[in-house]
This record gives sequence, structure tokens and C-alpha cells, in this order.
Amino acid sequence: MKKIIFSFATLLALTAVFAFSVAKSWEIKKDYSIKFTNDDAEGIFKTFTGSIVFDEQNLAASKFSVSIDVNSINTGNGMQNKHAKGEEWFDAAKYPQIVFNSTKIAKTGTGWQATGTLEMHGVKKEINIPFAFVPKGNEAVFSGTFTVNRSDYGIGKPATGTGALVKIEVYVPVTKK
Amino acid sequence: MFKRAFLLGIVSGALAGVASLVYAWRYREALGVDFSTVAATTSIIAASVGGGVLAALGYVLSYKLWKDKGEIIFNLVFTILSFASILAPLAVRLPLDVEMPELFPGLTVPMHFFPALGWFTLKPLFIKQEIKN
Repeated sequence: MKKIIFSFATLLALTAVFAFSVAKSWEIKKDYSIKFTNDDAEGIFKTFTGSIVFDEQNLAASKFSVSIDVNSINTGNGMQNKHAKGEEWFDAAKYPQIVFNSTKIAKTGTGWQATGTLEMHGVKKEINIPFAFVPKGNEAVFSGTFTVNRSDYGIGKPATGTGALVKIEVYVPVTKK
Repeated sequence: MFKRAFLLGIVSGALAGVASLVYAWRYREALGVDFSTVAATTSIIAASVGGGVLAALGYVLSYKLWKDKGEIIFNLVFTILSFASILAPLAVRLPLDVEMPELFPGLTVPMHFFPALGWFTLKPLFIKQEIKN
């Protein structure tokens, strides 16, 4: 009898530990927005997918694995869209996805920061993405603004200074899975 | 002369506007794209009639400046300007929520030729010319 009680207690304890170690998964809602701006162009990416696991109480188990469909770029001008998808810029035929995989998520003074690998145009680089997380019931919003140097990824004509910097604004509303 | 040219401008502009609306409707039906938020019915009619009125002013001015050669100069300038104006829809940046901006020039470029087409088609009805031997 004692053995059975002990086994049940162990199982209960393990289940509790496991439950605490699994971070919350979030489903991306449709009204997200991925905007980019630089000196020459601005626009959006219309297709954004991936998995978001984030728990303020369990950052070790939190992880972002998201991707953007390069062919979904929209600058508001058809010729510019075609140009952006072309070989000189994103080369969408060869590199159809922009991928970000986080390796670490940490709390900062003003919000949160995801550190991970951003793969664009076949080039992988580690970046830090600061973001805000606003939960509200079963829903929440992730938002953040950061800058990438397009020349680091071999996108477009080589440039220096502000001409190479692209500001990315991300707004991702989510619901709890 | 001015009165007839002005009337021709308004009528040919209105005709171009109607042709543009018919074309826009067929374009939407055929390709399933809706640009009505950036090329509204009122804007299309106003731009077409405006183009016709400007053409009338240009026609009268050409006649005053170049007399007998005014006609050919006006025709050339009207055609060249219509052709040059297609750069505008090619270069325009649409709001980012408008789907498939690639198809916008296909809708608007032909419309830029409709006022000239309307003018040249209806001109013999409004301004008669003697043929010199």
C-alpha cells in the first residue's frame, strides 16, 4: 500500500514539475503587422508564421521560431515589389523565407529581449530584438522595433550609414493555445 | 471657337470618363482586383472631364499662337502629354493595404489615353475644318 501511495505521490510531483516547466504557447492572430522602413523604401510583409512559446515566469522554456514569406512583400508599388524580390535585393526565388529562431529570452529594464539568429538572403547573424509583451486575459500583444543593416546580409547595393539601416516594426497579437 | 472647343472638351472628357468606368468594371470582373479606394468613380470622372477642359484650353491657345499650324502642334502635344502621363500610375505608391499594386498600371494606363481618344473622335462633330486643296 505504501508503495502505491509513494508511486502516486512521485507521479503527482513529476506532473507538477512538468506542468511548470512547459511555457505557454501562443497562436498568432491575423491582424499582425511587419513593417520596414529605410531611406529609400518602406513597406510590409503580409505573410508571417511560426511558433511562439513565451512565459514571463519561465524564460528558459520560452522560444520564438518565426518566418516571413519574402514573396509577400508589399511596398505599394508593383515595380518596386518586383525589384525587391529580384536577385539584387531579397532574391526571393533562391531565399523565399526570412527566419528568426531565438536562443535566449531575457528580461530588460523596459521590457524583454530575444537573442537569436536571423537568417535573411542566405546569411545568418545573431541579433537582439527588444520587445514589449502586453497580456490581457487569454490574449496578448508582442511588439518591438529594431534595426538591421541590410549590407550585413548582402541585400541590395552595398551601402554605409543610414542608407543601409532598415527599421523593422513588429506588432503581433496572439491568443493562448 | 472657344465655346465649341470648351463644349468638345467637356463632352469628350465625360465620354472618356464613362469609357474608363466601363473599363474599370471589366478589369475588376476579369482580374478580381478592386482599386476603388484609390481610383474612385468620382475621381475618374473628374480627372477625365478636367483633362478634356485642359485640352480645350490648349487647343484654343495653340490656334492663337500658331494659327494654321496650331492644329497639328496641339495634336502632337496632346498625344505626347497623354503618353508621358502614364509615368504617374507606374510610379505611384499605393496605400499598403491595397492588394496587388502590380495590377494598378494595367487599370489606369489605358485610361490616360481615353480623353485624347474622345477628343479626336468627337472633334469633327464640334469643330468643322475646310479641306484645302
